[in-house]
Amino acid sequence: MTRSFGDHVAVHPTDVTIGPGGITGLLGPNGAGKSTLMRMLLGLVPADSGTCSIDGIALRGDGVALRARATYSPGEIGVYGEMKARDQIAWLLRGREPAALERALAIVGGMGIPLQRRVRGFSHGMKRMLLLAAALAPEVPVRILDEPSEGLDPSRRGEVLELLQADAERGTTILLSSHHLGEIDRVCDRLLFLREGRLLDEQQAGDVRERVKRILRLEWAEDIDPGVAHEVFAPFGTTRVEAERVFLLLETDDPRPALAALAASPELEAPTGFSFGQLSLGDLYREIYGREGI
Amino acid sequence: MGRLKHLFWFGLVFFLVLEAMAIIAIRFWPDFRESLPALLGLVKSIPMAGKFLEDMGGEFFGYVAGQHFFKACTPMGTAAATLFAIGAVAGEAHRGTLEILLARPYSRARLLGERYAAGLLAVALPVLLSSATLPLMAPMVDETISLTTAMLCAVHEILFLATIYGLTFLLSTRSSSPIQIIMVVLFGAIFSFGLYMVKTASVLSPFRLADIPDFMEISRSGSLDWRVCGPLVLASALLYYAAYRSFLQRVP
Repeated sequence: MTRSFGDHVAVHPTDVTIGPGGITGLLGPNGAGKSTLMRMLLGLVPADSGTCSIDGIALRGDGVALRARATYSPGEIGVYGEMKARDQIAWLLRGREPAALERALAIVGGMGIPLQRRVRGFSHGMKRMLLLAAALAPEVPVRILDEPSEGLDPSRRGEVLELLQADAERGTTILLSSHHLGEIDRVCDRLLFLREGRLLDEQQAGDVRERVKRILRLEWAEDIDPGVAHEVFAPFGTTRVEAERVFLLLETDDPRPALAALAASPELEAPTGFSFGQLSLGDLYREIYGREGI
Repeated sequence: MGRLKHLFWFGLVFFLVLEAMAIIAIRFWPDFRESLPALLGLVKSIPMAGKFLEDMGGEFFGYVAGQHFFKACTPMGTAAATLFAIGAVAGEAHRGTLEILLARPYSRARLLGERYAAGLLAVALPVLLSSATLPLMAPMVDETISLTTAMLCAVHEILFLATIYGLTFLLSTRSSSPIQIIMVVLFGAIFSFGLYMVKTASVLSPFRLADIPDFMEISRSGSLDWRVCGPLVLASALLYYAAYRSFLQRVP
């Protein structure tokens, strides 16, 4: 699928299969095209070219058949402030099976959100929970969640992640975007990295975890000469020097020869930080985007 | 309170205002009839003021057509049509609820059709119901109005208001700013009314499409004038089609 807004290409030709089942995380900085791609999957933003299918049903017309098979929680919160929470959820669930309302009320009630209060007095996180409950309650094979935990406090975020994991275990396919790498790391089976509307990389969470085991990370308090660092470590694996934070990443199965070479090098000082097998998703994000993740 | 409840309450208020204005106008008829010759003499040097009185023709129905349809239903209906149409799409976009609305398992044709019909009903029903009470109120001042005439005039008025509603509805599908639409429609309405008040340019004003002579003609002929109503129906249909095409391409 592709989509442009004027001269700006929001989503370059993108071809990807997600599921069945599991939680796929869509990662990327602001403006990467995550929300546009998610909206295109539901027919909310018409594609300029290409198509998609959900549960074997192809996108036709305005995508009503796909929306019957998928729920959506938008990234931006919009609610009727004058409605009571219970009415707001009922409004959100119009067109879904009647039992979904009871399930959504149970989710929201379980999080201590007052159902008889008007939504206008709710915090950002409480409003977010209403949208999320309405997206999690219907019996559908696919859920598309744009930053589902944005604005939630840590305890509610943990509860939401547990709900998502339980849902995925029942066989639901979940596509979510998030800027919280910690939660992506915790729940996702697969990661899709987008930048400027292009699918940059695609990794299974298991592969990331395997790769993490091979990463030696060294950190210095002051700038080092990248040329010297590459010269010292080149025999032991692929190296990358980050000038900004002054650290070096080396992919190797055994760090000991590299560390011995470092100790023997007169041009490199002893590092101030050292770790092996502890690359975080944030490091991976930095590696792909060249900037800090959250 | 969802859109339907909003429309219900606003529609009820619109009806009550029309009804109150109709009661006041009809009760004032005996005084007006008595003062009419003096009024005509007084305003003959003021072209447009004289036009109102001449159009009414000194008849009770002409007076009612001027008071109820031209002076109450048209301006109040224009305001109501604008208000009800704005919320359909632009209001939802402004509130941030449009994306959720579009994500429902409904086709866009259905979403738009439901919203169009609900808003138009909220404009049309008060006009229809308040016009239906005119024959009931006329005996208060020893006059009569045929229910058929009142209903036909109401239909003519509704067709005129439907065009304004359709135009605002189209703008609503293309914008996320209700205030901008209000400003455009308000400016258009004031400009059109300004044209109406200028004798040499009056014929160019859209308000001439629901003017006192139109209602007098309905009363005389006992039928709608399709030379006026036909283009109004066509304009409404075209505006709805344009709104539909626009809504199909609408992004949240």
